[in-house]
Amino acid sequence: MKARALLFYRLLVRPMLAEPLRTALTLLAVALGVGVVVAIESAGRAAAGSFRSSLETVAGEADYEITAAGGLPEELLAKLARLPVPISLAPRVEGSGRLAATGTPVRLVGMDLIAEGGRAPVRGQELFEALREPHSIWCGRAVATQPGQTIRLVIHDVAREYTVRGLIEGAGLDSTLILDIGAAQEALRKPGRLDRIEVRLPESASPKVEARLREALPEGVLLRPAGARTEENRKMLAAFRWNLRVLSYIALIVGAFLIYNTIAISVLRRRAEIGLLRALGATRGQVGAAFLAESALFGALGAALGLLAGRLMAEGALRLMASTVDTLYATSSPAPLSFDAAIIGLAFAVGLLVAVASALAPAIEAARVAPVEALARGRYHWERRLAVRRNLVGTLALASAAGLASLGPPLGGKPVLGYLAAVLLIAAMALAMPALIDAVARLNLARLAGVETLIALRGLRASLGRSAVLAGALATAAAMVIAVGILIGSFRETVSLWLEQQLAADFYLQPEAATGAERDATLDPALAAELARLDEIAEVERFRAYDISFNGLPAYLAAVETDLARRWGKLRFLGGQDREAILERLGTGNYAIASEPFASKHGLRPGDILRLPLAGRAAEFELLGIYTDYSNERGYIVVDRDVLLGYLPDPAPTSLALYLQAGADRTSARAAIERACAGREVRLISNAELREEALRIFDRTFAITWALEAIALSVAVIGMAGALLALVIDRRRELALLRFLGAAGTQIRRLLVGEAAALGLLALVAGSALGLLLALILIFVINKQSFGWTIQLHWPAGLLAAALGLVYLATLLAALYPARLAQRLNPIEVIHEE
Amino acid sequence: MKALAVLVAALSLPAAEFRLAKPGYEYRFPQDHFAHPEFQTEWWYFTGNLSAASGRRFGFELTFFRHAVAPEAASASPWSVRDLWMAHAALSDIEKGRFLWRERINRTGPGLAGADAATGCVWNGNWQVCWRGERMQLEAVTEEFMLRLEVVPQKPPVIHGRDGTSRKGAGEGRASHYISFTRLSATGTLSYAGERFALAGTAWMDHEFFTNQLSDEQLGWDWFSIQLDNDTELMLVQIRRAGGAVDPFSHGTLVEVSGRSRHLEAGDFRLEPLTRWKSPATGALYPIRWRIQVPALELELEAATPLASQELAGSKVLLPSYWEGAMDYRGRLRGGPVTGRGYLEMTGYDRPVRLSPPPPAPGGRAASATPPD
Repeated sequence: MKARALLFYRLLVRPMLAEPLRTALTLLAVALGVGVVVAIESAGRAAAGSFRSSLETVAGEADYEITAAGGLPEELLAKLARLPVPISLAPRVEGSGRLAATGTPVRLVGMDLIAEGGRAPVRGQELFEALREPHSIWCGRAVATQPGQTIRLVIHDVAREYTVRGLIEGAGLDSTLILDIGAAQEALRKPGRLDRIEVRLPESASPKVEARLREALPEGVLLRPAGARTEENRKMLAAFRWNLRVLSYIALIVGAFLIYNTIAISVLRRRAEIGLLRALGATRGQVGAAFLAESALFGALGAALGLLAGRLMAEGALRLMASTVDTLYATSSPAPLSFDAAIIGLAFAVGLLVAVASALAPAIEAARVAPVEALARGRYHWERRLAVRRNLVGTLALASAAGLASLGPPLGGKPVLGYLAAVLLIAAMALAMPALIDAVARLNLARLAGVETLIALRGLRASLGRSAVLAGALATAAAMVIAVGILIGSFRETVSLWLEQQLAADFYLQPEAATGAERDATLDPALAAELARLDEIAEVERFRAYDISFNGLPAYLAAVETDLARRWGKLRFLGGQDREAILERLGTGNYAIASEPFASKHGLRPGDILRLPLAGRAAEFELLGIYTDYSNERGYIVVDRDVLLGYLPDPAPTSLALYLQAGADRTSARAAIERACAGREVRLISNAELREEALRIFDRTFAITWALEAIALSVAVIGMAGALLALVIDRRRELALLRFLGAAGTQIRRLLVGEAAALGLLALVAGSALGLLLALILIFVINKQSFGWTIQLHWPAGLLAAALGLVYLATLLAALYPARLAQRLNPIEVIHEE
Repeated sequence: MKALAVLVAALSLPAAEFRLAKPGYEYRFPQDHFAHPEFQTEWWYFTGNLSAASGRRFGFELTFFRHAVAPEAASASPWSVRDLWMAHAALSDIEKGRFLWRERINRTGPGLAGADAATGCVWNGNWQVCWRGERMQLEAVTEEFMLRLEVVPQKPPVIHGRDGTSRKGAGEGRASHYISFTRLSATGTLSYAGERFALAGTAWMDHEFFTNQLSDEQLGWDWFSIQLDNDTELMLVQIRRAGGAVDPFSHGTLVEVSGRSRHLEAGDFRLEPLTRWKSPATGALYPIRWRIQVPALELELEAATPLASQELAGSKVLLPSYWEGAMDYRGRLRGGPVTGRGYLEMTGYDRPVRLSPPPPAPGGRAASATPPD
């Protein structure tokens, strides 16, 4: 045991300590890779954890909830309350609003404070006193700091003063406001309606109780386990999280290349030592294990550092994710980040796994070293002979497999095969890299680029195994940047074009209380008619949306004024369906159209029947067509306004689209509209502003993706620096010899920089080619299967050129320090060592 | 004379806008079995002693209580609070010595609670009593037991007091309109502790409505319902004053075999506590054995409970504590032996009970209404 430890120390730890900078760089690369994984995982969990109903902490957990799209008639509560089964029922009326002072979104919850007296945050005498005041609220600490405070709240398009009667405590309740149920109905404009009824069963309840309850429910009312909505939100978020998670592993994969490189160099350098050890009786297993242990040490140390880095990065990642979740999925207040055993376990698992896996090949190589061979041959003359041609066959095989995988369907709703295709392509590129370098190095460029370049290229070719790995790492990172860049650029361009085409109205009007993902804030129903009377306005189109649940996933149910949509709108249907014909039918009855993400998520095709529980009735709609839409991932089911009013008679619109008279002046029209809306809390947004806002949200959504890419690239550049450093140290003799042969110090530096330049250029070219292929997979396989969006391919050429230029520059910069080191080599000293 | 009145005190607004209970009220049935919203407070009390075929004995209490917090609702919303409805359901498992009870509070809401002549029901959630002609069907569903009873009056309703009013204190309107069914034959089923019992026995029903009945010095009361085996019934209530005196407005009613009732004044009877039981929950000392003397009727009874712990230890949320439980009576009537069963209610033992609305002091509340945590 002791001997083995000594072996480990002598053979591995000491060299590591002897080259602290290179060791540090490798560690940093692993730490960054692990850190990103940790950050995304913990931020993702915090972001998803926030959907848990915050009220559970106040009112206790329910067993079931009763819901229906568009709410429940409150008489249902009275009916259920008299069922002779031992259940307790808690009605909820919910909605969102904003603090007038800061615009902070808040969650409003109406509960029966009298019946739930025992569970509510207030009780007894104070409660009854407060209930005599209609504008009493109880709220979390983000809303008010002490009872008695008056706060101004914007709900829908109205601002009103409320008196804080008490504070509520509990995780996730900071921005929650509790009102008595009647006050909530009034404030949220839901007279006579409940959003949910929470059901609690006694522990001893028999299954008969649930059956009795189910029997008593009218058709079109859902009874589902409590927390189903939380689950739905989580499920909806799953694709987003999954893809981010996969992206977070890119840096780690790049890191794996670098660990491989480090260990391979280690093996290479210590060939003679290994030979000696083997000659002295060390077994193959011991030698191999020692190198695996070295790599495991890198993995473990990297993971420990990665946890720290991840902790730091998680804050930022959570901020970015939370804003995306709020805007695109559902209003949430992120749960606190937690670094528990699972996260720590993850860090060490991925750190060690990546380290050991990437060191496997070099470790086996080391184990294979025959004592005689290692001792007999010159220390510097060995280079792993690569079966260049065989590798090319492998490349072809991998690439074909990738092609096949990219054609596969999603597995379990996830684009597993798409990711497999991407990984296979990266592997194919890695295998092709030696051949590529070999081919380039054979070119006679001396006349073109000078003798330093020639020597540099020959150097690369001489150490083909090592340079290929380096170039592979950089190429992978570059390829991912390019692929993601093309994806995002194409997506952005597609959305931008769509916005231009879709946003046909001159102005849009929203209630001030509207928040990102929820559609529960509405406008005064009288407003549309008032605006229609303005001289400047040609048409006012009312749009209404409800948050609903469809097949276990959140969705929007929306109503449009079909005749106006025909006249003014510019919906585009997939598969070349005839817009006119579809819209003509839409207005005539129980027909629906659906947005593309909705249809692809639920696998729906025109002609399918959508069954929706609507306000206690079961409604069926025939799907007429699927239209392109990039506004939301939840997706829309759109029906005619009059048809929906037949089920849900609330005439209040979610937003208005205002079309101006031909030739009307925008500025004066805006002023006229604002006058007409005076006293109402509304947001008037011009066409251009809305478009800008949409693209701003788009960019914010992808900020985290760019950040992940940047980190992966940094890892690659760090790796490049470390590897070049190793190169200098390993080739001291050769470099010194060059000096003796008359090379100037600057020439030596140029040589080194030239190698980096050649390697970088090769990597970027290979990376670009790979990146294009990956982009196709991302856009047409992974995105389509995860989110269901059709994206037109666009080349963000400027952006990519800039990114690649930056990477190239960073690679050269990374070569500067090793180059200076090489330049400063004292040739006499070096030769003397020999 | 019921415990929930204490809560009323806590919630009361000035009662001026409600109708007072005054002599001359004309009773009309069945309408008068249901709600009287013009009076501020109203309750329906059912208590009874039941036995299973095996002889296993149970007591029950099912109580509905209405209290108006304002003469008119503030808005048209059904959630706007005009009336608060409270209810208690209790089961006394005499043999096992267990006492189970639940409380419930609701507003009228979209029909969560009410007393409605049209449907013939008084209800609070799934606790209800519904009149089906003369019969009443009682139903109480809790997590621990489900009780379904049909009770049939054996005598016509009794109107307590004089001239349709039962006086509780000096001054106009310190009275209630008080109706009882003093002998109800009860049959039904009880699902409890995994068993199902067919039960039969005798129940008692009180229905009282008023606006402003008791005065400050009245600390609490002891209320007895006595169903004797000679087919007569007796209701006695003793109001205890500060300093231990018996309030002169204590009173009672004798119901004869024929159903004819006779009013008893405070001086007509004497109630003497014999043994006390200390509540582990509240520390209150409740007299659970009494000597009852009604000289005018030549009646002397000893009242004892088969189960000491029948205290509804008021939750912190709503209600004060009180003791309400099944009783056995044994004694002599006009020289002969007599036995009976019934219920006893005792209030104001854990602390003095204030019965009038609290003074509108800033931050002040009916100090005694909410028991300490």
